[in-house]
Amino acid sequence: MTKILTGGVGKVQVADALGDLGLGDLEVTVSSDMDAAMKLRAGQADYYLGTCHTGAGASLGVLLGVLGSGTCHTFGRGIPTDAEVTALLEDGKKVFGFGMDQISETAPVIARAIAAHTR
Amino acid sequence: MSTVLAGALSAGEQGLDFSLAQKTTVILLCALTALISHLALAVFNDGVRPFMLDFIQGRSNRSATTAVSFGLSAGFIFGLGAPMALSTGVLNPWLLFLPTDVLGLLAPKKWLAPLLGGAWGALVVFGLNGANDIAHDLPVDFLTAMQQMATPILFLFTLFPVLAITRQFGKLRGGIAGVVELALVILTMKLWPDVFPGAAAMAVGVVMLIGFATAKDMRQRRADREEKAKAEVSEGKDASTGPERPVTEAELEDPMLSLFSASATRLRKHLPLFMVLGAGVCLLAQMHVFGGGEATSFLIAKEDYTGAAQVDFYRVFGFIPLIATTALASGAYAIAGFTFVYPVGYLLPSPWLALLAGAAIFAIEVLALSWIGRMLGRLPSVRDSSEHLRNAISESLWLAILFGSLLAANTMGGGLGILIVGGLYLLNEAMGRVVVRMAAAPAAVLVGGVLLNLLYWLDLFTPVKS
Repeated sequence: MTKILTGGVGKVQVADALGDLGLGDLEVTVSSDMDAAMKLRAGQADYYLGTCHTGAGASLGVLLGVLGSGTCHTFGRGIPTDAEVTALLEDGKKVFGFGMDQISETAPVIARAIAAHTR
Repeated sequence: MSTVLAGALSAGEQGLDFSLAQKTTVILLCALTALISHLALAVFNDGVRPFMLDFIQGRSNRSATTAVSFGLSAGFIFGLGAPMALSTGVLNPWLLFLPTDVLGLLAPKKWLAPLLGGAWGALVVFGLNGANDIAHDLPVDFLTAMQQMATPILFLFTLFPVLAITRQFGKLRGGIAGVVELALVILTMKLWPDVFPGAAAMAVGVVMLIGFATAKDMRQRRADREEKAKAEVSEGKDASTGPERPVTEAELEDPMLSLFSASATRLRKHLPLFMVLGAGVCLLAQMHVFGGGEATSFLIAKEDYTGAAQVDFYRVFGFIPLIATTALASGAYAIAGFTFVYPVGYLLPSPWLALLAGAAIFAIEVLALSWIGRMLGRLPSVRDSSEHLRNAISESLWLAILFGSLLAANTMGGGLGILIVGGLYLLNEAMGRVVVRMAAAPAAVLVGGVLLNLLYWLDLFTPVKS
């Protein structure tokens, strides 16, 4: 079971969007940036999806500080492709930030890539 | 109601005429903010702040950080800051401080940063005036049309606490808050026609939200304590598990605390510079040529400074946790701090008082940062509330700005205007929101305005007579 935490302004919408996909082996929990940072650090969760207006600020701030930029990536305002996310996952990225008005486009791409990557 | 609408409609006609003192203040302040951004001590864009840590620690270079800053700011500068300033005649932080973020980071040398920032300030105060005059003289005057945005923004913004309460605490409490706010708006219109109708409603809404959140956190903490006490009673004899838990928790907390305290120390070291910055921003607000929030520019434009102060004061609550945590995590503060300097500035009677108050507010904010960070760790519902507040602010403004933009489109071009502006908006949606959703509609009005003027010159369009 892969544990994904959501945080930031659109955390509930992201969790809903992922729940709708019906990807069985993902456990999605609504969280907050501070809790998520500590849980990822302690290995109690695997991935974090953060959202805010720019796709970077509120969503990633604390996680970048605690986990370092090696595990964090922001898509900013772009919509990633499946291959892009897979490459990032293989690179060891665990924390992803994106714009809250692009949740419905971006969140499923990331979730599917995570599901395929951890399978 | 009538005074509010009339005031809002006549808002932009005073144009962008700045006095010498105002021009000087804007130019000097832009120079200062660019320097501060160059030194990586503060940036305005909350999204850029997290990337400052890598920059400060030397893990990313100046050009990479500049690229991030430009990428995250450009949409807000051209889509939100510029159209708002053009349509209200009031400056705003997106137009002034987002570019100085970028320019300050861009400058390869320390002395170049304030020069670039000052040049931007000069371009804004001198150039906007010209652009404003030219636009008003066009056959299709889209700037006057853009003042149609004022009414939906002012009135829909009033509802943001209701949306936040509904999302966080459910339909029942949200419904009650909605009824209370509506009643207060009607009451205010009836009893005090000169006051911004949303003022009292917004105050009550925000207080309700904070009340609900604090009560929830208090209940949760009490429950946690009782559970802990119960657990200690049942495991009391088993001494080995007792002391173990707090140790692991402390270990878990440690990296965040040490990160936060390192950042707070870095910021405290530059306290005098932050006090100068606070004084400058507060002075700008006091001069009444600047609005700090999305709704505020329209209120400043019609000289309702008390209303503007209230709107920006409530808005602060949505941003304190965001600004505090990003500042503590990155070691870079916000150009306008917690934005308390805006409402205080609007209300102060003299520029000298504004300088003193701004410096004092920034001193308190910077010194209190660590404490605020610790408090936020203990009050999860309050932090949640602030996220819901920001979400609600953008939700209500999104609808208001879209609706206002269509009203503006109708004013400048009737059905064809609506087709162009609404069409551009929908096209942006279909293309995956190239322009930030919030800024897409006003940007579409500007593009539509230019297009309608071109059509007029080609003899394909007759301007709508007002």
